[in-house]
Amino acid sequence: MSTSFLVNGRPVRTDEEADTPLLWVLRDEIGLKGTKFGCGIGMCGACTVHVGGRPTRSCITPISAMEGAEVTTIEGLDPAGQHPVQQAWRELQVPQCGYCQSGQIMQAAVLLEDFPNPTDADIDAVMTGNLCRCMTYSRIRDAIKAAARLTVQATTHD
Amino acid sequence: MTRLLRHDAGIALSRRSFFVSTLAASVVFGFGRAVAGEGGSQPAAPAQLAPRLTGFEPTIWFRIDQGGLIWINIAKAEMGQHIGTALARILADELEADWDAVRLVSVDTDPKWGPMVTGASTSVWQTYPVFSRAGAAGRIALIEAGAALLGVSSSACVARKGRVEAGSRSIGYGEIVQRGDLARRFSADELTALAIKTPDKWTLIGRSVDALDIPGKTRGEAIYGIDAEVDGMVYARPKLPPTRYGSTVLSIDDTAARSVKGYLRSIALEDPSGTVPGWVMVIAKTYPAAIRATELVQVTWRSGETAAVSDQDLRDHAHALIADRSAGATLDTGGGDVEAAYAKATTRVEATYTTAGVLHFQLEPVNALAFQKDGVFEIHTGNQAQSFILAVLAKALQVPPEKIVMRTYLIGGGFGRRLNGDYCVPAALTAKALQGPVKMVLTREDDSLLDSIRSPTVQTLRLGFDAGRTPVAMDHAAVAGWPVLAMVPQGLLKGTNGVLYDPYSISGADHWYDVGVQRVRAINNDLAQKSFRPGWLRAVAPGWTNWALECFMDEAAHRIGQDPLAFRLARLTGRGINAGSAPNAVGGAHRQANVLRRVAERAGWGRALPTGSGLGLASSFGQERDMPTWCACAAEVAVDQATGVVTVRKLWVEIDAGAIINPDGARAQAEGAVLWGLSMALYEGTDFANGRVRDTNLDSYTPLRISDVPTLEIAFVESTEAPMGLGEPPTTVIAPAIGNAIFAATGLRLRHLPIRPVDVLDARAKASAAAATTP
Amino acid sequence: MARAITSSFDEKRIAGRRLCRRLVVGAVALGLLGLAGFAAFAWQPALPEIATPAPSSFALNVVARGAVLAAAGYCSSCHTVPGGQPFGGGYAMKSAFGTIYSTNISPDRETGIGAWSKDAFRRAMHEGVARDGSHLFPAFPYEHFTKISDDDVDAIYAFIMSQKPVHASAQPNALIPPLGIRALQAGWKLLFFRPGRFKPSADHDAQWNRGAYLAEALDHCSACHSPRNLLGAERGGAARYSGAYVDGWFAPPLTAANPSPSPWTSDELHAYLFQGIGQFHGTPAGPMSPAAHSLFVLPQADQNALVRYIASIGGGDARAGSAAAAKGLALQINATSAGRQTDPDARFYVAACASCHYNGTGVINPARPDLALNSAAHLSSPDNLIRVILFGIDTPEGAPGLVMPAFGKGFSDADVARLAAYLRRTRTDQPPWPNLQKTVADIRAQGKGVE
Ligand code: FES
Ligand code: FES
Repeated sequence: MSTSFLVNGRPVRTDEEADTPLLWVLRDEIGLKGTKFGCGIGMCGACTVHVGGRPTRSCITPISAMEGAEVTTIEGLDPAGQHPVQQAWRELQVPQCGYCQSGQIMQAAVLLEDFPNPTDADIDAVMTGNLCRCMTYSRIRDAIKAAARLTVQATTHD
Repeated sequence: MTRLLRHDAGIALSRRSFFVSTLAASVVFGFGRAVAGEGGSQPAAPAQLAPRLTGFEPTIWFRIDQGGLIWINIAKAEMGQHIGTALARILADELEADWDAVRLVSVDTDPKWGPMVTGASTSVWQTYPVFSRAGAAGRIALIEAGAALLGVSSSACVARKGRVEAGSRSIGYGEIVQRGDLARRFSADELTALAIKTPDKWTLIGRSVDALDIPGKTRGEAIYGIDAEVDGMVYARPKLPPTRYGSTVLSIDDTAARSVKGYLRSIALEDPSGTVPGWVMVIAKTYPAAIRATELVQVTWRSGETAAVSDQDLRDHAHALIADRSAGATLDTGGGDVEAAYAKATTRVEATYTTAGVLHFQLEPVNALAFQKDGVFEIHTGNQAQSFILAVLAKALQVPPEKIVMRTYLIGGGFGRRLNGDYCVPAALTAKALQGPVKMVLTREDDSLLDSIRSPTVQTLRLGFDAGRTPVAMDHAAVAGWPVLAMVPQGLLKGTNGVLYDPYSISGADHWYDVGVQRVRAINNDLAQKSFRPGWLRAVAPGWTNWALECFMDEAAHRIGQDPLAFRLARLTGRGINAGSAPNAVGGAHRQANVLRRVAERAGWGRALPTGSGLGLASSFGQERDMPTWCACAAEVAVDQATGVVTVRKLWVEIDAGAIINPDGARAQAEGAVLWGLSMALYEGTDFANGRVRDTNLDSYTPLRISDVPTLEIAFVESTEAPMGLGEPPTTVIAPAIGNAIFAATGLRLRHLPIRPVDVLDARAKASAAAATTP
Repeated sequence: MARAITSSFDEKRIAGRRLCRRLVVGAVALGLLGLAGFAAFAWQPALPEIATPAPSSFALNVVARGAVLAAAGYCSSCHTVPGGQPFGGGYAMKSAFGTIYSTNISPDRETGIGAWSKDAFRRAMHEGVARDGSHLFPAFPYEHFTKISDDDVDAIYAFIMSQKPVHASAQPNALIPPLGIRALQAGWKLLFFRPGRFKPSADHDAQWNRGAYLAEALDHCSACHSPRNLLGAERGGAARYSGAYVDGWFAPPLTAANPSPSPWTSDELHAYLFQGIGQFHGTPAGPMSPAAHSLFVLPQADQNALVRYIASIGGGDARAGSAAAAKGLALQINATSAGRQTDPDARFYVAACASCHYNGTGVINPARPDLALNSAAHLSSPDNLIRVILFGIDTPEGAPGLVMPAFGKGFSDADVARLAAYLRRTRTDQPPWPNLQKTVADIRAQGKGVE
């Protein structure tokens, strides 16, 4: 069975088995290694990509579910790597080992769309699914707020 | 790891000591050499561009190319501590380099780099003297050559930001490399004698800097071991045997697996090194196919003898061991007859503390890509201790060590897991069997089952006081599985009683308090040792010894009716063996007293708190007496009477790690260490059941998440003392501060980690039962 | 009792992901009639074959109207195998009685309905009799299609006959004997089938009646949303639209008995049916997905009419005021179940689900389906919730372009049961579901139903 969908705006087609997780198609078949494998059961968020603009854990998303979908990975979040979340992440020096950070950033990017002015409760609720074993949590929290400010600035300057 | 590097002559690559071997290498100073292949496919995010092969390479540690870019070779593993950036700062500061011209190169396992081990928060401490002198020598050579080009004497020149300046004229390093005569050589003695900057002269060290590895990590460009690829590779997932050791494959039936598209074959590994006995590797064209097929391959094993071992067995065994007052290896703590002194004490306090096993759960599951090329085995992976595993690989593959090279990738979380390179062995053996490239990736469940967990532990502490309520005798015995015994047995030390012990499994118990006659005993849990492969985990032994010690000090203080802070300060006198010595431990116990006092003050020690809330204190010297990072923590907790839930409201932490190379980076490391401490105090831990860890994934293993993070207030003592490690020491003070805070809040003494609500409720039930029976 | 009947019918555990097709096979005691009389009744003449009409023989506007009607009547979703040629048939409907395959209704002469006249097509739609005179199984909902006007049937005919012929022989049905004997279907008809076109109700206006026509005749909503009796006929009276199992899912009540905390108002029905996502009710899943997606094609006026009628069944608009309270409660639940959690189940939920399903201050975001409002946790049956957790929702289902991952890939039965129990406990005031773990295991064993 073949499945066609868009990845970072480019059409792709795969003949992988229906239950093959999207994660491995992205990583090994398409070669987009920025999306990471952490737990494989949907509990760490390392594999988070956007499907239809929503954060989605690709390790438990079977490829058969993807027909016609539009996927964005960390590589496609912003053409220049300048998404406000990415900027804030660098500004606050969030990543340590960095392995969870693609997922954190993808999750945080949608968090800010849904909650342009996130409270601590919003951040806790939405980001708790993203495990950071290096425990960069305090900085993630601060960086999300910084990114929210950057976003506001960007929109008011437009 | 420092001890391993310093004391152990048995490791293949420990060429005397790091410092000496570096100096030896530096004798070639002055020869612009072509750089040995930097491993094209490899990684360290910022070093994507292959450096040009010409230039000035005064030492093996760096090279300046004709464009003025400075390529610094980093032999330490990058796992989130931004070590490359920190080490490069040291070199660049002495070199007077333009920071923007600095690039990092992650090196392979050529023996010239010396022993390759990244751990125990020793990287900065260890590399500082080497890199600062390498930089200083480079600067001198550049100034001399630059002065010649400018036609002035070198004494008229200064180096600044990558240029040699003479008055208003200047010349860049790149141009000097292109045109100059860089002939200056340094003998080993000259190098050693080179004066290095005093802290007030630092231009880069001591300032916060953006880590060079971070930008790539925000764009998904950073390359980890799991991302390694080579043409024509196949994928492997192991089918793990029922026991870590001693299992033998009796038969493999892959009939069902053959229906999996892409499945290739299953191989029972023959491992002469004994690292992965009973392993079957399932090979497929894609990783998902390997996962599917592994579930369908049927293997029958003859299990090893530990197939039924449970947590209870491990604990019972430990209790039996510890009950023998003469068991274990005795550390040198000054001598004296503890039993006699204890027998004479008028007040005796005794308590037993335990901790559960802890998984590393580094987010990147272990993996390795292996293949043979031109007669050399290449292992591409993230590893923290290549030096430990190379000899094992040589034995496994039955080739001399020089026929193996490891290429180091970014590490998706170390925490000690990748000090144990056992996972390299099956990948290499599979490549050998297949005669082709193979990438082995463990699923999370596989990774947990294979993990070198932090051993569950049992510790008994005893403290005797005389009639004047002064401590006269202390005994601290700790039973654990020993990582050094499992992985580098040459690194065991001999106790004063002649018994060998693992220094990493007892450090922390050899504290800086004056307690009269003192005995510290390390006891190996041989059942644990057989059942799993004990590992080093962030902060290693002090993660449990200091938990027990600092809770126990609290207990003892309360027993004799003293304030826990005052009690501790009175013991941190800095006298005798606790005076401390240069270069690393200047100030000794006084510095521990200092951080403790400061944290107590910040937390408002002594203030009234609402019912059900409490403040607890703990301090430590980090991990090792000769490399102390002084830490203290005050924890404020609230305990819910009905549910037993402990809520940590706030943690105050004070750290004295000597001079700080990169303040923001230091803070990041401290944040990580503190939260690891919290995670192990309240959230994570696993039991052992049927010879394996019970929790293998996040549905039942529950480490700290963002919503669990309390308010943190971390402060550093300003210091110009020798810089010490930071990645682990703060871990050691969190759990005991919380344990003591729970006592302050409830009067309940919790003696097992992690502390779960049910433990609090149990303790309360026991306390009320005891109260009821006390007349 | 409704429960007992439906489960004795064993529809509940039929695997399946598409709309419809509760497999109904009429098997009726022959003793009800004299055998001869029955034979006479059961016998239907074959209608003559005709030359396949050329597509050009149909007026374009009629074909276009037929296309909309065919879509809204879900013809192709039943008569097409996933990934197969449209109208080529072969879609399998499984039950305890065996398996029936849908037939080829493309205009192929040999294997489809290319030789069927308009009259033959009308007879099939209105009376459940094939061109050759054999009785159709009521898996084909002719008891609803009989209500479709002649005009509309003709338009559907025009549309289908303009499609590409697909040469695909019918798969023989595999039914337990003697159920395969088509003549027996006549007995079922005798008992339960009331032929006749839709009659507007004088008590209601034209829009309502239009909606009723669409829902009852073409869209056959009650085929899924009403429980059936022992013999597989829809139950009427109070049972009508009171919810039923279909293809392993529970089609919730459309009546006021619907347990969703927020009423199904016209606005919600609109968003849910025609945009694929409602603020307070989430997204269509399982067999409802193709239904809702097919309805996207209806012209605006028909959409309004359909909503008007469906809303009138449950009377949701009259209770619109209660939505605010439900929303307030849901937001309150959100507020207390985010943040630091100590209950292990709550921790589990936050880590696995809250990143998508949490709603913050004041607003319920439809792209964050709220599990305190969504009916899945509130239904008497845990099946829908379990299915969605286990198998997720694909892009073609639910809200267009979105997926819900399949948590069954990594979670054990106990994990899924734990989540379901947690949601039931914290999101509803309903009693706990019994035997959850076993139910999860059963549903997992059936699979998602991907052919
Ligand atoms: S790898 Fe997908 S959530 Fe952990
Ligand atoms: S930065 Fe290492 S896991 Fe998050």
